Amino acid sequence: MTASAAGRSAPRRGGAAAGGAPPEPAPVIDFHCHAGRWGRYWVDDACDRYLRVMDAAGIDRACLNCIWHGDARRGNDVVAGFLRQRPDRFIGAAFATPHYPEEAVPELERAVDQLGMAYVKVYPDYVGRPVDDPAYFPIFEWVNARGLPVMCHATYPFDPPGTTITGRFTALSRRFPHVTWVLAHAAGRVDADAARAARCLPKVYLETCSSGTALGAVEYAVEHAGEDRVLFGSDMPLMDARQQIAKVATAAISPQAKRKVLGANALRVLGLSTDLRPVPRPARGA
Amino acid sequence: MRRVELDFRPAVPAADANAAVGRRHDRRVAVDDAAGVVAEMDRAGVSQALVYAPHAAAYDSREGNAWLADAVRGEPRLVPQFVCNPAFDDLDDTAAHAAGAGARAVRMLPMLHNYPFRPWVVGAWLAWLAAEGLPLWLPMDYAANWHTGGELDPHEVFETVRELPELAVVLSEVHYRQASWALPLLRSLPNLSIELSRFVIVDGVQRLLDAAGPRRILFGSRFPDSPMAPQLYHLHRCGLSEDDLRAICAGNLLRLLGMDAS
Ligand SMILES: [Zn+2]
Repeated sequence: MTASAAGRSAPRRGGAAAGGAPPEPAPVIDFHCHAGRWGRYWVDDACDRYLRVMDAAGIDRACLNCIWHGDARRGNDVVAGFLRQRPDRFIGAAFATPHYPEEAVPELERAVDQLGMAYVKVYPDYVGRPVDDPAYFPIFEWVNARGLPVMCHATYPFDPPGTTITGRFTALSRRFPHVTWVLAHAAGRVDADAARAARCLPKVYLETCSSGTALGAVEYAVEHAGEDRVLFGSDMPLMDARQQIAKVATAAISPQAKRKVLGANALRVLGLSTDLRPVPRPARGA
Repeated sequence: MRRVELDFRPAVPAADANAAVGRRHDRRVAVDDAAGVVAEMDRAGVSQALVYAPHAAAYDSREGNAWLADAVRGEPRLVPQFVCNPAFDDLDDTAAHAAGAGARAVRMLPMLHNYPFRPWVVGAWLAWLAAEGLPLWLPMDYAANWHTGGELDPHEVFETVRELPELAVVLSEVHYRQASWALPLLRSLPNLSIELSRFVIVDGVQRLLDAAGPRRILFGSRFPDSPMAPQLYHLHRCGLSEDDLRAICAGNLLRLLGMDAS
């Protein structure tokens, strides 16, 4: 079964707590990629370019979302086009916008149950609402019932003074205890608050991509959040996955930690085995 | 997992075209002395690095350059780059100081030092650089507390640099925000090169090869804000010929600096 086909089986996966047996050699999973063209930043989403860069970087699967549309359905259809072309290389992430709450749940059901998407992406900066704005709550209630991961930026440009990542995700984790939160870019910089959130909260993960390649960022996240809580992501095609994976490959961390960051942790978050099949989960009350 | 190298070392000589040594005023950097820069070079497999002093950029170029000259004395792997402020510094003094210190390149920050990059400000300075064969680095910006200078103006660069085909100019720290004009600018100015430390757009190296060819692309790290190894790892995964890899990792920089590639 392919990774995207795996996404069709519900109820599902996701949200596993960190830890467990040391990983076998795992596939390399890029947790943070986009689909869609953005000429302002020379972003184009030619499928053959993704595949060539993934092959050169050593990436087996790339998780794609399309966050650029006011109409989430259009963005998710762009991702579905990639899943149809190469279900063996891409994993879909469903975009949801808080601006059309009446459309959000039906679209998530379509994206996950019909198009086979594996987690949910929200983009607070671009849509103009921080991730703990109640406008997202209908989305997160649905995600919580499914036990899926959500990837989002942890901060917001207009956060009031005193806002902390740990405080924000403590509150969200209490309200939506079955959601796994993947904080985009949070391991791409030295961020004590993000690391504290991952250390304190069992379902918070930090993702590595950044345009700045901050010295010691991956090492800091692994040391302070734990090697089970960091996920490799590239932000392709805004950034080159070879350049982004290099930060993990050359980091001063153990080979085991590198393997976890590059894929084993993502398998656990996505509820997949090393051969990218869904791992059966014990039943739980929603 | 086999395809990701977990113990990477560069297969060709590497020379870093963008590193800093010294303290900053606005934050404590992880490495602020020459020994620390050399230790990172050893870790990453980098033989030489072109270094400037942040104090020379952020506050006083004369004092910062003098500090740099002392800091790298006796460490031949660190090649000094002087920061110049043509709107304020004395050209003759700076030229003598640079020659005495063995500076092999110059860095100008028009947006930070608050002057137009136009011949009526920088003309005599660029003539000096061209006559001495000293290449000029132009970073996109200088991000620091208390400095709100904007970004490098591509129109000014084009109009000024096009008049001096014998001057080698390096666009430095080009971010994806500037990719939309940096690539056409490289196509338009044959004496312009690009340093890679912040150039992260997908397939960026291939797009630069298409725009400028292999002799105008320079490996750079932006150490100590960024480590040295990742960009080298990236370059080794770009499908380059060995000649092009050697040129980009070290040869092009050493040629611009007038140094032996051996
Ligand atoms: Zn992104």
